[in-house]
Amino acid sequence: MAQNLTSNDIVKHFAGVTALSSGCLTANSGEVVALIGANGSGKSTLCKIITGVVAPDEGQLLLNGTPISFSTPVEAIKSGIAAVYQDLSLIPSLSIAQNIWLTREPMSGIFIKYRTQRKRTQELLDLFADTMRTSLTPDTLVNELPPDEQQIVEILKAVSTNPRIMILDEATSSLDSRQVDRLFTLIGEWKKQDKAIIFISHRMVEVFRIADRITVLRNGKTVGDFDAKKVKEKDLINLMVENAKEHLEKTGTSIFKKLRETVLKVTNLRTQRLQGIDFEVKKGELLGIAGLQGQGQSDILHSIFGSIQFSGTIELDGRDHQFKHTSQSMAKDIALVPGDRAKEGLLMRLSILENLMLPSWRKYGLPLNTGKAKKDAAKTSQSLKIIMADLNMPVSSLSGGNAQKVVIGKWLQRNPRILLLNDPTKGVDVGTKAEFYDLLKDLCKNGTTILFYSSDDEELVGLCDRVLVIRDGMIRKEIPRSKLTLSSLITASVTSSEETAHATD
Amino acid sequence: MQQIRRFFTKKTFVFSIVLFILVILVNFAMQYANLGLDKFEKRFMFLLDNNIRGFIPLILLAIAQAIVLINGSIDLSIGNLMGVVAAFLVTQYSKDDSIARFLQVFVMAIGIGVLAGALNGIFVSLVRIPPFITTYATSFVFSGIAMWILPRPGGNMPEIATTFYRTMLPLGLPMGMWIILIIMLLWLVFRNTRFGAHMYAIGGNEKAAFTSGVSVIRHRMSVHMIAGFLAAFAALALVLITGSSDPRIGATMTLDSVVAVVLGGTPMSGGIGGVVGPIFGVLTLGFVRNIVGFANVDTWVQPLVDALIILVALASPSLIRLILKQARK
Repeated sequence: MAQNLTSNDIVKHFAGVTALSSGCLTANSGEVVALIGANGSGKSTLCKIITGVVAPDEGQLLLNGTPISFSTPVEAIKSGIAAVYQDLSLIPSLSIAQNIWLTREPMSGIFIKYRTQRKRTQELLDLFADTMRTSLTPDTLVNELPPDEQQIVEILKAVSTNPRIMILDEATSSLDSRQVDRLFTLIGEWKKQDKAIIFISHRMVEVFRIADRITVLRNGKTVGDFDAKKVKEKDLINLMVENAKEHLEKTGTSIFKKLRETVLKVTNLRTQRLQGIDFEVKKGELLGIAGLQGQGQSDILHSIFGSIQFSGTIELDGRDHQFKHTSQSMAKDIALVPGDRAKEGLLMRLSILENLMLPSWRKYGLPLNTGKAKKDAAKTSQSLKIIMADLNMPVSSLSGGNAQKVVIGKWLQRNPRILLLNDPTKGVDVGTKAEFYDLLKDLCKNGTTILFYSSDDEELVGLCDRVLVIRDGMIRKEIPRSKLTLSSLITASVTSSEETAHATD
Repeated sequence: MQQIRRFFTKKTFVFSIVLFILVILVNFAMQYANLGLDKFEKRFMFLLDNNIRGFIPLILLAIAQAIVLINGSIDLSIGNLMGVVAAFLVTQYSKDDSIARFLQVFVMAIGIGVLAGALNGIFVSLVRIPPFITTYATSFVFSGIAMWILPRPGGNMPEIATTFYRTMLPLGLPMGMWIILIIMLLWLVFRNTRFGAHMYAIGGNEKAAFTSGVSVIRHRMSVHMIAGFLAAFAALALVLITGSSDPRIGATMTLDSVVAVVLGGTPMSGGIGGVVGPIFGVLTLGFVRNIVGFANVDTWVQPLVDALIILVALASPSLIRLILKQARK
């Protein structure tokens, strides 16, 4: 039976932020439609609405002409729509077979037929034979698998429901090239079986390899729908970034750069996500780290700070340092401002004063010189223009932007030499952002070195002396200030090879 | 090395078995030393029988706790829940009750246990109050009810039942061993049902289980009811030995049940484990206390030694893992 899924003008707000303002997408049997767009353009939200993970605020979802709305993913699966999500939905302590067949176990009376389940799992695993480790069996526990194999299990879980419409949300991001090839062969077969496939990827090469049709989202709006054979990569990228204002004034700190010495040198840095990163940072430089979300950017910052395990060398002022604990890097005046302020940055129920002073209490002797601490905290909060009733109020009473200022303020108390910023402006209002940018510029002028990862490409373009674009755990492109524009940045983030990146410069 | 590590992390009960064998050897060595060869040989089966039968109530509670913990919840009221059922039993029975009357009252007791478990389940799964808090609060509710039913230690048990339970050695093996065997068989059945499989899924990752279509609320509710069901059997096993009850009898057994589960290698984080570990956990715990009892130490030293051994036992798996990790580097 031919399938047709249409979503019309879907709208979704999350706590005042509009994730989708007009999301339109059509998927037909025997066709692969690719959904593309920059960070935060609403691709994942649209998919989650289609599969019933989140409910839309407005708009209509039609399956073969009949309006549908799913309140849970299970209902969507029953209607033949299955999705492979970016954030894995596997249970680590269970085996591959148990994960794939969860709630759909083959039964004989009250007993699960483990042998049948194992056999069927093996059949599914055979789809990806030769691209995975040979030691893999249906009974292998998921928590023993590397990310790529977990991703494949996730794909197989969706396949096992025998869907008529299949959504692959960044399903290729952790796969290697052989596994991607195999997936594409399978997609070809599914097309022949008249399945509809919605394919989301940031890799343009993959999109052009597999897609029949391409739908472009920008700022929550569908801005284009093209035949994949008749459209050029360059046009798509322009459409993805079109009208994006480069409103940040470019006032850099570049004049200082030539005079300064190298403070930080990273060689062959590897973690679970990073595949060998090399770069140098000069004193007083503001180095941006860019790329699509989750390409390993945070790992760079955490490795330098010593909060995760890594291999490779990190040299500080020409001397090798392998920080095993954050207290060691803190002693060398390195500070990390985390992205998730509620989780990693603040003690929400403690006072602003205590939050600001937490990393610096050591300076205040025994017993603590609270008078001096209060004075210092007041100074910091004034210079950061934290809007608050009193230093003794809990941090939870502050707005998002002000709370983020406290996170930054607590590290500024220590006068760091190297400041690592892990997407610090997420969910921060425009006014605070502007103040924050001024602060960064001042710090750089005074010789602080800043590594700045942001998922907001505009602010990187506006602020940075140099930007490293990360993709798949590697530095794909280094863009100097002179060539730094929003389109050059996004092009480097999504294009799949160095050559094309240069071509669109 | 990888294999040893996997063996220890996957087969979580292995460690408890090793510890168990050690403890049981020491236990009988000490009983032997106390009694002399002749008497020990004659009374070996009697000792084994008595020992294991005494452990049955805690074994049942530990299994209840294990199921709840695997599911990612916890039940801190299980001991007092058992206390309520025990109090009910000894106040309803009289010394010369018939078998029929014995069974009739026990069926009612099971109903009370399941109902009390359902109370926990409602608050934990439906109202979504953290299980730690919920069951801590209900433990006081249950303790109050037990004291209301049975204000002071006492009560009666039908002699037919107690004599049967205390003296029977089916096929020459201790009654306790048969009970453990039956429990293990039932577990094997339970483990292979969909309900059993989903129990592990929820404990492993509640959100992922929900996304996959597991009805988490209904399942967790049932798990707490099963815990209540098992606690009713624990109460019966207890009063059959003692012949009477004490309203405060269950209070200390709650934490013992958690200790036994962890001692048996099931972590408190949920998603993995089984009942074999907890059973050996209880036996180990029981024999450790026996050993300390036989050791002729001062009374005040007993809980101290007891606690130290437990602490070492609890820390050992982590220590082994740490050593293996160091060795791999």
